[in-house]
Amino acid sequence: MDQAQDLKKCPIDFDHESEDHVASWPAEFREMRDTCPVAWTERHGGFWVATRYKDIVAMAQDDATFSSFKTFDPHSGDVSGGITIPATPIPRGLPVESDRPDWDVFRKFLNRRFAPKAAEARRQNIRRYADSLLNRVIETGEMDLVNDFTGPVPAMTTMELMGLPLEEWRQFADPLHEMVFTPKNSPDFPKVIADVQWIFQRCIETFHQRRSQPPQDDLLSYFAHEQIDGRPITEEEMLSFCNNIITGGVDTTTALTTHALVYLNEHPEDYRRLKDDPSLLPVAREEFVRYFTPIHGLARNVTRDVEVNNARMEKGDRVYLAWAAANRDPEIFDAPEEVDIARFPNRHIAFGAGMHRCIGSFMARVMFEEMMQAVFARIPDYRVDPERAHRYTSVGTINGWIDMPTVFTPGPRVETGLVL
Amino acid sequence: MKVAIIEERCVGHGMCLLACPELFELSDEDGHAFLRSENVPPALQEAVLQAQRGCPEQAIVTSA
Repeated sequence: MDQAQDLKKCPIDFDHESEDHVASWPAEFREMRDTCPVAWTERHGGFWVATRYKDIVAMAQDDATFSSFKTFDPHSGDVSGGITIPATPIPRGLPVESDRPDWDVFRKFLNRRFAPKAAEARRQNIRRYADSLLNRVIETGEMDLVNDFTGPVPAMTTMELMGLPLEEWRQFADPLHEMVFTPKNSPDFPKVIADVQWIFQRCIETFHQRRSQPPQDDLLSYFAHEQIDGRPITEEEMLSFCNNIITGGVDTTTALTTHALVYLNEHPEDYRRLKDDPSLLPVAREEFVRYFTPIHGLARNVTRDVEVNNARMEKGDRVYLAWAAANRDPEIFDAPEEVDIARFPNRHIAFGAGMHRCIGSFMARVMFEEMMQAVFARIPDYRVDPERAHRYTSVGTINGWIDMPTVFTPGPRVETGLVL
Repeated sequence: MKVAIIEERCVGHGMCLLACPELFELSDEDGHAFLRSENVPPALQEAVLQAQRGCPEQAIVTSA
């Protein structure tokens, strides 16, 4: 056995999808950063796991060596590469599962639609969705924070962005949440997948409708009318864009906002500071993004033999970049295991690093802020009950809460022009 | 003090805007950062150094 094979033997049996990892990940990542910063695990066909900040940023920036390309054959179900481990048997996401030079074209095509100005333009509507959702429950004094609020707000924002009918918000929001927390071996999983496929079917129908309508200000119309490289966008590319936008933008923002509201309930002094001075929200927001890192990590394909921090990777290997581990690396962050809502500067890479960095981060930031402001204004004395709530059984995809029972002093409905 | 952005490295984390909105802006096209001025007045030096320290891509350079 050659040395490279020897180096693939690491004492750490790492599986980011396991139930144990949900509770043990901070300690597990701490140990890996200290003892084996680029580790090899035999799980899921074998892959490297990088846990130190500097290694992860360097790999994410070297997009030629660490590819995101994915192939999927819908007829055979054969799948390889891409940004998840294990690779999921669904069409690739675009732009995130492409490499240069294709990536330049796909990303440029979408960038303007997700830039800071485009996100800011949604702010009022986002607040309107938040207030309309609170109207449904405000007179009762109780809700499920996730299913009634932090789930539907990003779902509705994404639907509006896409051009899908808002009255279908429940059929849109629920499957996108269930898809993430339902174990793949659960008897409920086939129904969840069918419900998610229905969403993509709605995207296909709307895309074809838009082709025969004048251009409108939504993404499906944009996909239907604009061109890439002088030709129309194919249905397959359209679905890959939708896949990236919908799976990347909804449950991640839900997880972030839920975690933050639970944390603030448990830390009333921080809650008062933010509520009394919302100008502190942007800095606090970045700390919540760092600390909770909704997407714990993403994968790359190794395209050539390369050495990273004494680990000898071979062409064809897979590597998992653990953003959550990087974001608690003591080489970069003081007291990394603590939340400091005034932490600044804050070099976190929860949105990733390098060219594939999250395209929706500006949208996520606006959604988070407007959900927090709606809570401050309308249910300021909310109380969550994590003891009765349920965590995801795996944090391999997203680290979030399934539900979160919440009570508050009942209040009046407000006029939003939207009845849900 | 002078400040510059290494454009090939910037991917739009936006932390520089949080640190020093007086000098950094984000593009309406792609969210990447650009400078209003490369000259840093003394009152903004600490903020620009914070922007530099806060950039995950190490895309900001300063010189005396």
